[in-house]
Amino acid sequence: MWRYTFKRLIQGIVTVWFIATATFFVMHFVPGDPLSDARATSEQIRKNLEARYGLDKPLAEQYYIYLKNIASGDLGISFTQQNREVNDIIREHFPVSAALGVLAVVFAALGGILWGALTALFRNRMPDIVIMFFVVLGVSVPSFVFAALGQLSLVTLNDWLGTSILPVAGWGSVQHLLVPSLVLGLGTMAFLTRLMRSSMLEVTGADYVRTARAKGLNATQIFIRHQLRNAILPVVTVLGPAIATITTGGFVVEIVFAIPGLGRFFVQSVQQLDYTVIMGTTVFYGGFLVFMVIAVDLVYGLIDPRVRVR
Amino acid sequence: MSAAELDFSPAERSTEAARIVRPSLSYWQDAWRRLRQNPRTMTSLVIVIGLLAFTLAGPWIWRVDPANQDLDQLSIPPGAPRSAFIVEPYRAWTRSAPVPGAGLRLAEEASTQRVRLVWDTREDSPAFEVFRDNYPPTATALGIPLGEVLLSDGLAFEDRLALEPTTYYYSIVPVDADNHLLMNARETIKVDVKRVITLEGARQRGLIAEDARMQVGDQVRLALHPLGTDYLGRDMLARLMHGARVSLFIGIVAPLLYVLLGVAYGSIAGFVGGATDQLLMRFADFVVALPFLLFMILFKVLFGIGPGESGIVPMLVALVILGWPATARLVRGQILQIREESYVSAARLMGSPTGYLIARHMIPNTLGVILVTLTFAIPSAIFTEAFLSFIGMGVAPPTPSWGSMSNEGIKTMLVSPHELILPAIFISVTVLAFNLLGDGLRDALDARMRSVE
Amino acid sequence: MTRPLLEVEDLAVEFDTHGGTVKAVRGVSFSLQEGQTLAVVGESGCGKSVCVQSLVGLIPMPPGRITKGSARLHGEEILGYETLGGKRVRGQMIGMIFQDPMTSLNPTMRIGDQIAEPLCLHRGMRRRDARKRAIELLELSQVAEATKRARQYPFEFSGGMLQRVMIACALACEPRILIADEPTTALDVTIQAQILSLMRDLQQERRMSLILITHDLGVVAQMADEVVVMYAGKVVETGSSDDIFYSSGHPYTQGLKSAMPQNQDRRAQRLEPIAGSPPDLFDPPQGCGYFDRCPQAMRVCEQHHPPDVALGKPLHRCACWLHDERASDDD
Repeated sequence: MWRYTFKRLIQGIVTVWFIATATFFVMHFVPGDPLSDARATSEQIRKNLEARYGLDKPLAEQYYIYLKNIASGDLGISFTQQNREVNDIIREHFPVSAALGVLAVVFAALGGILWGALTALFRNRMPDIVIMFFVVLGVSVPSFVFAALGQLSLVTLNDWLGTSILPVAGWGSVQHLLVPSLVLGLGTMAFLTRLMRSSMLEVTGADYVRTARAKGLNATQIFIRHQLRNAILPVVTVLGPAIATITTGGFVVEIVFAIPGLGRFFVQSVQQLDYTVIMGTTVFYGGFLVFMVIAVDLVYGLIDPRVRVR
Repeated sequence: MSAAELDFSPAERSTEAARIVRPSLSYWQDAWRRLRQNPRTMTSLVIVIGLLAFTLAGPWIWRVDPANQDLDQLSIPPGAPRSAFIVEPYRAWTRSAPVPGAGLRLAEEASTQRVRLVWDTREDSPAFEVFRDNYPPTATALGIPLGEVLLSDGLAFEDRLALEPTTYYYSIVPVDADNHLLMNARETIKVDVKRVITLEGARQRGLIAEDARMQVGDQVRLALHPLGTDYLGRDMLARLMHGARVSLFIGIVAPLLYVLLGVAYGSIAGFVGGATDQLLMRFADFVVALPFLLFMILFKVLFGIGPGESGIVPMLVALVILGWPATARLVRGQILQIREESYVSAARLMGSPTGYLIARHMIPNTLGVILVTLTFAIPSAIFTEAFLSFIGMGVAPPTPSWGSMSNEGIKTMLVSPHELILPAIFISVTVLAFNLLGDGLRDALDARMRSVE
Repeated sequence: MTRPLLEVEDLAVEFDTHGGTVKAVRGVSFSLQEGQTLAVVGESGCGKSVCVQSLVGLIPMPPGRITKGSARLHGEEILGYETLGGKRVRGQMIGMIFQDPMTSLNPTMRIGDQIAEPLCLHRGMRRRDARKRAIELLELSQVAEATKRARQYPFEFSGGMLQRVMIACALACEPRILIADEPTTALDVTIQAQILSLMRDLQQERRMSLILITHDLGVVAQMADEVVVMYAGKVVETGSSDDIFYSSGHPYTQGLKSAMPQNQDRRAQRLEPIAGSPPDLFDPPQGCGYFDRCPQAMRVCEQHHPPDVALGKPLHRCACWLHDERASDDD
């Protein structure tokens, strides 16, 4: 297990290197000049700025400096917000996105497992049909529509109640978090519900469930002790990609609900062509996702003995 | 039972004890048969064909320019009435005739040309504040302030501010000498505004013939917008059709390209094997690890969108660059697996040439999987396009796509929800149809399920 | 003759499927004596597994349905009952092992816990005591290094070892009857013999009754006291092992025997397959189910189901028109 963990971490670092390299070269070949805006008024200022961002050096050296900085955890200084380090920006905005994302993943995973198990237990009966109808809807409706509908229903709810029980937009309290994270988790919840359902049905027909019945366990005991754990395994394996979906899906929710998260900031920085912020945030997100996937795989190893022992 | 009924002589039977009952079907015949039996799949197939017709043939039938603005009808919902009355051209209000009645009242019939209000004087109020709202006002919310009327101006107000043919609630609130609003003394009136147009205006817009004999008070019908207009007065139906061209083009062509690329890459890796395979697949692993949407955005920055360009091609290229590895992995896996299958070994033992093996075993057994992958790749590409256009990173305005229409629609969501709901419905229905089609195809093509019935 | 431990009478089971109703078991009767081994024999799809699994309520309902019949354990009805005299029928009164040991154990649970599970749940044993008992049971089933093995997971075991674990599991609550549903079909021949002898030893040690479902007449010869031969959802012949092997009365039993390799001194022994396939149980034939394949079929067999007749020995019974006196006249 330790060797496996070590191997995965090394793989992860190599992957992050690849992401950083791809980011560097994509951004390097972006047409235009990062300093072409009004700030570089005179030749002298331009020279100074180029020196400051290291743009006067040959490409190979720029790449080397870039990698060295990333390795030491320095993502550079923003182009448009003077003297603001990308690290500071991430430190300020990422916790917001993370809180939103964590809650959304929790919603999605718990909801997916619960609904999926329910649909399998009530297979082809009313609860199954109703839930699966919503699941089909859930995987077909884009996230921004959920976000818009979520906001619309909040407005209507507040109107109807006459008071503002949940804020419609903005940031600051747990109440601000609830509806956006639910909205963010919905698509993934629908996807996980479908997965959990088929996995539950597969498990229900498994030979070891028959063995459990032959041992005289009742339906509840079989469900809790044998079906649930085995059925959750496939759900856990897709949790890594699901976290990635939710993290980037957060962009839309942050925009619609005016939440000051890193996603909204990233979109802004792309619009302003803030090179260092774009590169820094991309590498940060890339690294984050890579290590989340590794973390999920390691957790999977803990619950599936077949992986653990190997 | 009497003994006479029972015949103990040897039975004569037809010798063909084992007859083949079912006709033998080829893989694709069988798949098609299963597909036809699945009502959900057939419904989704009909929807997909309908969408394609809507996209391809629609603009031939509904010949309205999606960029054309109808300034008389901004943000009108589907099916809104579109009749207008001919009126005289606007003339300044002389306020010569006294208006009978008391309290806040209309001086003349309200129209989209102007709303004219008069009211009575009131002690200790040197001025009045005028408000307009789309909803019945509450104690705190009276709507938008239109202006302040001083006593010296006369007790009248004329509203010409972006009037729509709808119901308004006008309120006047007296202001005391200290400039305080006397909310308790406010008066509110409900005003139904009639849509009007001048003869000249109707002629200019081509609503009536140049030589038509029409007089004031006659009705004309404004341009038809079956699904309403957006906030710039552009026809929703035309925009949805042209948006479908963009969304479906990206949604179908991009997956087609990257699935093909993935198939080529995966088959090379699978057939060649060895170190080449390892190298190729390691590279694919790296590409998979790139955060998809972020790199879509980076590529969009990289390719840039020049003035007048729509941004469709950059998005297509970016999708292909990032999309292929999943298919490549799948195809490689299929090929490695099929190569080990005992029926392939059996065919090889019987001396089948490699070409025959590929044609008879490899292709039929991977084609199904590839087809299913392609079907599922379409909705995800449509989602990606919509997502990017929604956050303003997709196709450039004014090119309509369902995603960019949703992006614009969300801004006016509260007052005219149809501008968001219509493109959202189109995205959802399309994605749903392709998802169901994919499910059906997977069930139909899954060779493991063939014998079970 | 003492009263049998288990009496099954006129049991019928149907399954509702999309294609119609499958009449899988069509009126089966047999009985099982204390301490004896009963083999249920027949080809795939003849209803032998369904018949026995329905006794303990193991067939999924729906789509399965027991339409008639009774099964009495110690003279008391168990069909449709979960418990009998405070004990659970499944697990405590009747234990079961299955064909494929590789998939019949929960892959994410330790072996020891799977054996201890019924002890904790049915006997209220403490977890620690149950684990100890599980190790004893593993030793009893001749699993080496039982203490270490109990902490392992199913994927760390071989097929034969897992079948021993299954036996330990089934015996945990000391049932009176052990049902073994093709216990050796998925195993190597050498392992088969070990498992069979283990089962026989444990049976004798514990004075247990055994119902053995198999299509392997070799296994039957080795293990069975009594044999029930099933075809197309019906019993065609019952009798002692000797009756079945040396004086079988039904053409199907004879067909089965000639399809089995025999270790006798016959130079040019040729295995005779039974031509054709069993009848469609969606629409079972009115007469004898074997009519289409029977080399000795008569006109009467097509429309009339043969009565069950005794053949000399007290327990040897057979359902075939050939034993009717009118049939022998013609020969």
